[in-house]
Amino acid sequence: NLMGVRLAGSHVTTQEPKTNPLVSISDEPETLYKRLSVLVKGHDKAVLDSYEYFAVLAAKELGISVEKVHKPPKKIERLTLLKSVHIYKKHRVQYEMRTHYMCLELKYLTSSTAAVYLEYVQRNLPEGVAMEVKKTKIEKIPEHIQEPVWNTLPQVEETEVKS
Amino acid sequence: MAAPAAARALRAVPRIRPLPVPDATRHLHTTPACLKTRAARVRVGKGDKPVSYEKAHAPHYIAHRKGWLSLHTGNLAGEAGAAERAVEDAFLRRFLYGTFPGALADEAVLKRRGNLLVICAVLARGLAPAKLYFLVGYAETLLAHFYKCPVRLELQTVPAKVVYKYL
Repeated sequence: NLMGVRLAGSHVTTQEPKTNPLVSISDEPETLYKRLSVLVKGHDKAVLDSYEYFAVLAAKELGISVEKVHKPPKKIERLTLLKSVHIYKKHRVQYEMRTHYMCLELKYLTSSTAAVYLEYVQRNLPEGVAMEVKKTKIEKIPEHIQEPVWNTLPQVEETEVKS
Repeated sequence: MAAPAAARALRAVPRIRPLPVPDATRHLHTTPACLKTRAARVRVGKGDKPVSYEKAHAPHYIAHRKGWLSLHTGNLAGEAGAAERAVEDAFLRRFLYGTFPGALADEAVLKRRGNLLVICAVLARGLAPAKLYFLVGYAETLLAHFYKCPVRLELQTVPAKVVYKYL
């Protein structure tokens, strides 16, 4: 097998195209996504800010158009417990758990682009951060409603009822 | 005469017993209650007690001057599994305390990325490197078999425990 061997002064014309075993090409039409909404939640705002920078940079590098990046308001879950072990009902202690959100909306993707982007972004998700993804598909209008129903019905002659 | 008749009448009245409801159960709370005024605080003393940065700060400084020791998604709004993670964390900390006797310089940080559990710990130098590698392998394999997830132990050795202040 002489593939790849550099022979001095000879031009190798019979070179097989290098096919990557990880890439598969199929003839099925791809599903199109109008919007890909990625909601990220975490306890630490700084972590979410740095993840936002990373996700937006990744989208730009892959050529995906970012519709908007917005931060929904945080949710605080509060608990009020008794401070002491035995009595002292008037003295309590309050704990809270803050969840910060960051929503990244990308528009007009194909399913393979979405799969690649989501896999990359999810493999680099920091610990303590959760992600929810919502995809909005674009589909063709089904055939049975493309034509209005009243155009397809046979012409009925109007009979006037005289009473 | 009237009293025994009344007693007989009372005995004759059928006693209405409460119907047994299958879903109603009684529980007993057995975990010890925690005194919150003294939780996770090192009390001020003569000034001879060396204390690390982690121990010197009280729990109300978390997210202000302190970070989190255990990072997982169980406590986020709309996520489940907080109690399971808490139990796992307690076991892991005790396991590490026992596996590296006297060598742990500070609390271990537990990170969960998907299925992977990463344990980041700082050790003081005292054990020979060969023994340390054996303990690392032993801990990783045992925990991986126990929790059925990949476990990675990332260690850092430090010449002595880092002291933040003396209390």
